[in-house]
Amino acid sequence: MRPEKGELTQAKKTLVPGLTEADAIDRAKRGDAESFEALYGMHKRRVYSLCLRMTGNTAEAEDLTQEAFLQLYRKIATFRGESAFSTWLHRLAVNVVLMHLRKKGLPEVSLEESLEPQEDGPKKDIGARDNVLAGSIDRVNLERAIESLPPGYRIIFVLHDIEGYEHNEIAEIMGCSIGNSKSQLHKARMKLRDLLKTSRAEKATRN
Amino acid sequence: MTCAEFQAVLPYIIDNGGNAEQQEHLRNCEVCSGLVNDLKYIAEQAKLLVPMMEPPKKVWDGIKTSLEQEGLVKDSARGSLLSSSARTRWGPSNWLLPIAAALLVAVGLFYYHNNIAERQAPTEANSAMAGDTANVAGSSATAVQSASMGNEQDRQILSEIASHAPSLSQAYQEDLQRVNAYIADAQGIVARNPDDEDSRQALMEAYQQKAMLYNMAMRHSLP
Repeated sequence: MRPEKGELTQAKKTLVPGLTEADAIDRAKRGDAESFEALYGMHKRRVYSLCLRMTGNTAEAEDLTQEAFLQLYRKIATFRGESAFSTWLHRLAVNVVLMHLRKKGLPEVSLEESLEPQEDGPKKDIGARDNVLAGSIDRVNLERAIESLPPGYRIIFVLHDIEGYEHNEIAEIMGCSIGNSKSQLHKARMKLRDLLKTSRAEKATRN
Repeated sequence: MTCAEFQAVLPYIIDNGGNAEQQEHLRNCEVCSGLVNDLKYIAEQAKLLVPMMEPPKKVWDGIKTSLEQEGLVKDSARGSLLSSSARTRWGPSNWLLPIAAALLVAVGLFYYHNNIAERQAPTEANSAMAGDTANVAGSSATAVQSASMGNEQDRQILSEIASHAPSLSQAYQEDLQRVNAYIADAQGIVARNPDDEDSRQALMEAYQQKAMLYNMAMRHSLP
């Protein structure tokens, strides 16, 4: 998984004057409340953003963020430092979200991929010339488009393109094949392309 | 190679470029190359999305409450269970209070195991009756021991609460009375039913509740 952008080594990260992330983890293992809060402050945005992007629902994202950190604190004594703390926390958060979505009836990635267009599937681009997107996406529109994706597409897209998981990792997490992970990602990107082009066209019409 | 054939395999080759025929098609086809450029551009923009959403304060409030309820945190502002300031303010004799809480649990354990040992001794019915009597006597002695220790510490706790958190004084008095009654009841039940595992467990829990009450009182009376 891709390391967090601009990330310092764990030992050097300073949360408050005199308190590195490594210190905070050690103290949190002993139940120190201030250290718990410091770790929360450092990682809350990433965990919350992940939950929000994967669920598309603010209330669920808040509950899942809370649950992810509670599980972190319950299990922090088992953290051995073999991976980066953020990686460990991130994987924990992903599992919390996926368990929640499965309880809700997550649309499982099918083992037998259909080549027929689905009702909400992206339009095929065969033989059609169209304007390219390059240089025209702003992040606000991209975030909105991601929110609009069907849940199955959105999860794969968030895990791969935003959070940096590889297809073999996604396949393990989702219980699907690598081929299915690639196929779903492709469909997600195609759907986003349609949404972004529609959004751009509407904006041009208004202007 | 047609566009349909190329786009059918595109999900699996977009990262590695595909074979020679596929790469040839990509070089020569404006539609497919435009499509690939768009998809790669979307992926690149997604990588740049920063986790900029901030959870509301109530998320941390909920976490903090759960941590405290589960006993996973100690308030670091107050340090360990007994901070140095509390040690100073309470005086040298009063730092025994958390030890008293631990001792309460230890007494409960002693009482618990004492009953087991005494039950293993008897061989005849009379011996069993004698054993029961010894159990009761032993349990009474232990109960008196723990009660006297508890009474002194109860008075100390209530005195400190009255000094430093008077609004909680009444509540603590009532809670102590309830937990002492719980302990007394549990002791009586164990004395009457020394073989009953549930009764012994209940007595242990009663001692643990009193220890928790002492710990809470400590925190409330600290600055």
